[in-house]
Amino acid sequence: MTQRIVVDPITRIEGHLRIEAEIKDGKIVDAFSSGTMVRGIEIILKGRDPRDAWAFVERVCGVCTTVHALASVRSVENALGMVIPPNADLIRNLMFCAQYMQDHVVHFYHLHALDWVDVVSALSADPQKTSDIAKSLSNWPKSSPGYFSDLQKRLKGFVESGQLGIFANGYWGHPAYKLPAEVNLIGVAHYLEALEWQKEIVKVHTIFGGKNPHPNYLVGGVPCAINLDGNNAINAERLAYVQKLLEDAKTFVNQVYIPDLVAVAKYYKSDWGAIGGGLKNYLAYGDLPLNGYNNPESFKFPRGIVMDRDLTKIIPVDASDPQQIQEFIAHSYYNYSDGNKTGKHPWAGETNLHYTGPKPPYDYLKVEEQYSWLKTPRWKGNPMEVGPLSRMLVGFAAGNKEIQEVVKWGLSALEAPVEALFSTLGRTAARGLETKLVADWGLEFFNSLITNIKNGDTRTANTEKWDPETWPAEAKGVGLTEAPRGALAHWIVIKDKKIDNYQLVVPSTWNASPRDMNGQRSAYEESLIGTPIADPEKPLEILRTIHSFDPCLACAVH
Amino acid sequence: MKEKKEAEHNETVYVWQLPVRFYHWINALSILVLCVTGFLIGYPIALQNSAEASFGYWFGTVRFIHFVAAFIFFFNFVYRLYWGFVGNKYAKWDNFIPYRKSQWQEVLDVLKVDILMVSKKPIDSVGHNALASLTYFFTFLAFLVQSLTGFGLYAAMSKSFFPKLFAWIVPILGGDFNTRMIHHIFMWLFIVFAIIHIYLVFYHDYVERRGVTSSMIGGWKFIEKGHMEEVKKKVKV
Amino acid sequence: MNETRPTVYEELQAKGHSRRDFMKFCTFIGAALGLESTGIAQVVKALETKSRLPVVWLHFQECTCCSESFIRSSHPLVADVILDKISLDYTETLMAAAGHQAEATLKNTIEKYKGQYVLLVEGSIPTKEDGAYCCIGGKSSYDIFKEVSKDAKAIIAWGNCASAGCVQAANPNPTGATPIYKLAEGKTVINVQGCPPIAEVMAGVIVHILAFDRIPQLDSLGRPKAFYSSRVHDTCYRRPNYDAGLFVESWDDENAKKGYCLYKMGCRGPNTYNSCGVIKWNNGVSFPIQSGHPCIGCSEANFWDNGPFYKHLANFPGFGIESTADKVGIGLGAVTVAGIAAHAVVTNIRKRKEIMKGLRTTDNNIA
Ligand code: HEM
Ligand code: HEM
Ligand code: NFV
Ligand code: SF4
Ligand code: SF4
Ligand code: F3S
Ligand SMILES: [Mg+2]
Repeated sequence: MTQRIVVDPITRIEGHLRIEAEIKDGKIVDAFSSGTMVRGIEIILKGRDPRDAWAFVERVCGVCTTVHALASVRSVENALGMVIPPNADLIRNLMFCAQYMQDHVVHFYHLHALDWVDVVSALSADPQKTSDIAKSLSNWPKSSPGYFSDLQKRLKGFVESGQLGIFANGYWGHPAYKLPAEVNLIGVAHYLEALEWQKEIVKVHTIFGGKNPHPNYLVGGVPCAINLDGNNAINAERLAYVQKLLEDAKTFVNQVYIPDLVAVAKYYKSDWGAIGGGLKNYLAYGDLPLNGYNNPESFKFPRGIVMDRDLTKIIPVDASDPQQIQEFIAHSYYNYSDGNKTGKHPWAGETNLHYTGPKPPYDYLKVEEQYSWLKTPRWKGNPMEVGPLSRMLVGFAAGNKEIQEVVKWGLSALEAPVEALFSTLGRTAARGLETKLVADWGLEFFNSLITNIKNGDTRTANTEKWDPETWPAEAKGVGLTEAPRGALAHWIVIKDKKIDNYQLVVPSTWNASPRDMNGQRSAYEESLIGTPIADPEKPLEILRTIHSFDPCLACAVH
Repeated sequence: MKEKKEAEHNETVYVWQLPVRFYHWINALSILVLCVTGFLIGYPIALQNSAEASFGYWFGTVRFIHFVAAFIFFFNFVYRLYWGFVGNKYAKWDNFIPYRKSQWQEVLDVLKVDILMVSKKPIDSVGHNALASLTYFFTFLAFLVQSLTGFGLYAAMSKSFFPKLFAWIVPILGGDFNTRMIHHIFMWLFIVFAIIHIYLVFYHDYVERRGVTSSMIGGWKFIEKGHMEEVKKKVKV
Repeated sequence: MNETRPTVYEELQAKGHSRRDFMKFCTFIGAALGLESTGIAQVVKALETKSRLPVVWLHFQECTCCSESFIRSSHPLVADVILDKISLDYTETLMAAAGHQAEATLKNTIEKYKGQYVLLVEGSIPTKEDGAYCCIGGKSSYDIFKEVSKDAKAIIAWGNCASAGCVQAANPNPTGATPIYKLAEGKTVINVQGCPPIAEVMAGVIVHILAFDRIPQLDSLGRPKAFYSSRVHDTCYRRPNYDAGLFVESWDDENAKKGYCLYKMGCRGPNTYNSCGVIKWNNGVSFPIQSGHPCIGCSEANFWDNGPFYKHLANFPGFGIESTADKVGIGLGAVTVAGIAAHAVVTNIRKRKEIMKGLRTTDNNIA
């Protein structure tokens, strides 16, 4: 007999995700992933000023804040043929890097770690041993026995107060937790340190964009001006601040995040290096231009597709080809004006809310019919996985030296085979590896910016096409980026100076979508198939694999 | 020759008392100043100069003038409302609120005679005609709106108690942004009103020859002999 | 309240913080709330004697950026807020439990601490389609809100979403996104505005409740006066440029490099009530205007529909994208002048005769 279990809310993610899974003989045999909240932002954008769109879509998500704003300004610039000054690209890259570091670190420690780290077990750790382990992992200064014993006391007091707060009702003691008590204690310590640290790196956004979350962007460049002789613009003091933030971030990533990742992964690689692989196709749009957004060859993260896990071939992707990327709604709560059987390229995309699910309160979704607010994106009809793993694999297949090196380094540090990449653990490891790269790249971009300024180029915005009078009667654009969770694109159609159509296809839309009309599952659903479930009442295993994608449902549905 | 005869057969009527005339010109002047300064507040002129902020205050001055004119405008307006109760019959409040059937009849007549030019029926009123009165009624309402929105906005930037009395209006209108929008749009109503108003004054002067224009200066209108008696009769019937 | 729970001060002590740290923290909070020294003493006393406050954080139609902002809170102890001062018993973003276990935690807290827990809401509630636009655990967000708000000691609406509906309530509001004060059935809701609110403001409001055991003073829109009583414009360091009439005229022009006032680029600072100019963002590093972008008014209700952002007045409703009130006004003025011109011409050619005739008639009558 198969048993249907429901996990809703899936916590420690962004947004409202529900998983229904069918379990037979202790393993998942089918799974359904559903986004249960919608806002209709694509509908709200119609008729508005394209120059304002970035602010609306930035509010699609506050966890991956900035990335939608970036895709949006790019889509408008693409539609109107605007080229932004090199400094603007560099500043956008710096904000990009800061976002990756913050988002990935918060994901690892605050959203994912409790799947692997047993907080309660940390109470029985030996502080001296913990200190020894910590010192063997890295040079991070906070690793004395006293530090860990203070922390343990604090944790004890917390647990004894009877008010467990966010740690209440976790799956503590579950047989799937494998770390020694000491490593658990390190995990808890760094959980708290990471919480303090993450608020620092985002100050790069505050300096260039005025605030975080939701810094400001600008069509045609960036809003901050550079003036070394002014006290009201990006000057030497501000630049030195940015440099300091980037250097500190690199230290944290290399001395805390990466060592912890390696330490934890070693204990789980034997099983979780083979579970949760899911789909075999990987898509990345690439990003971090060195020579402008219009020259993808110059991107630090390459663009392309890997099919069937074949790392010897890289297939090009064209987001403006109506045949390549399409969205389907066979199992989604939407209507298309010409029937729900066909797919639509986003320039011709439609968003008509049409709820057909059970009336709340409900126990189960109608999984045979429509069961999610996500549409189902496909590349030439194929489901694709997007995200850090895709970026690393596409970069690897594209022959990118830096990416090949870091991936090889990671595999050797874990003493794991290449196949281990195609798994829950591989996904989590890839996120760490790219963070290591990005931590370096941030400083590279910073140096380029300084060089530019030294050479007398302080331009940050191109206002030639700012005035709508200069726009054509009709224009179409697409803005691509690599959000922390994967390939992100916004398509815009501008008519009579207003937005005529605006469609987002978001990383989590690719990964978390319902199956298509041919029954092909998307990444979340596929990756759960075959996962062992030790205790259906405590489906920790589902959380592990789903969390490895770093779900963002506000993004996915919008 | 003709002019002389005319003068003989007109009688002079004292229509606008001094306070009304004072009110009128203070009002006209302050509105002029408010429109100019208000427009500058909306669209500050571009100064590409390298002066340090501490050396200039022109924009602050513009705003200061706006606020001074605003106070004059407001209290002048309040004064006119008061005069609506104590002034002569041409100044009385009930001229402005069309609650009598005869007033509505005259509105129609004026429309036909002056605006559409399809009728030649004489208009009886000696003070404002009924359509003018109605327009002034709406103008007074607009004065009120402009004062409420203006002082409502001003409340946030003033330390004194008086503007604070108006602070409640802002949330009702949905925040400062909307209040400002309304305040700005109403400026256009005043501009359009002034254009039409000034034209019609000259027009009436031209067609009626009662000396309307100068009446707002001297107070006197020149009315055809017998007209006053006729009107009185009519009203009684 | 449960007397066996340790007080905030005791917990801090256990954690190794000194009395001096504790006093510093209290002074900071007091200053953030604009308190006199007597008020600060009250904070100290309250935190010494009160135990951790049970808190439930619900997530509805949101982007979770209010949660993100909250964890940016910069004062060293405020970063520890969730471990030492409150007991954050439910928040989907951070809690360890999921699914049924998460639901059980929520149920447990609202039963055990009936009338004692504080409810924080992030996100708006969709009222159309029986609430199917936002469901958690198969229940509509509206039902969940009704159940949890019933016995809450205080309700805080985080951000523009919960306070005013934010972006999803912008025209045409496809899901019927509704701010929670409209659904709170008469209960007072503290609207902590902003998209998102400033981290220290969020922490400050919680500490206010914790320290004084009552809600802070609110303005007529339900916003705590301590943080929302002055306009960004009144605390903006570019204000002298505004008064001097020195404005940025276009992006990255000389004036932008000098940091002139952004009024002509559409700055909403003159219409927006928030603490950005004073507290600033991310531990005082900067705020939108300081980094060259005009304020977009993110702490005001309906600010999304007051666009476009780069003009200081909205487009005139119903007239297309480039139609400001002024274009309409100028148009109206032009039509008026044209009408008058036509009227004047007709008057002259038609009425002149009449007038002359009329005059003659009068003459005759009199003669
Ligand atoms: C006929 C009367 C008035 C006219 C035509 C007028 C016109 C205007 C205009 C066009 C603006 C600029 C709005 C914008 O584009 O942002 C303005 C601003 C303003 N007006 Fe008036 N106004 C009038 C009366 C008043 C009154 C009675 C007050 C009362 C104090 C007032 C107070 C203000 C204030 C406070 C502002 C905003 C100034 C700022 O933010 O610096 N106005 N006015
Ligand atoms: C050259 C400029 C102006 C002239 C010659 C003028 C003349 C007059 C005259 C003759 C009247 C009496 C009209 C009648 O009998 O119905 C009048 C009334 C009035 N005018 Fe003007 N006017 C001028 C400008 C303005 C302006 C700029 C405004 C304000 C926007 C204004 C507002 C009013 C009002 C409110 C009344 C009604 C007065 C009352 O009874 O309280 N006028 N004006
Ligand atoms: N999926 C997604 Fe995002 C990301 N990363 C956006 O594009 O999280 Ni909110
Ligand atoms: S108020 Fe703004 S920042 Fe907060 S959840 Fe809503 S959209 Fe996000
Ligand atoms: S930048 Fe904005 S808030 Fe600052 S003074 Fe200018 S208009 Fe006011
Ligand atoms: S946009 Fe928001 S963050 Fe402050 S400066 Fe304006 S209120
Ligand atoms: Mg979409």
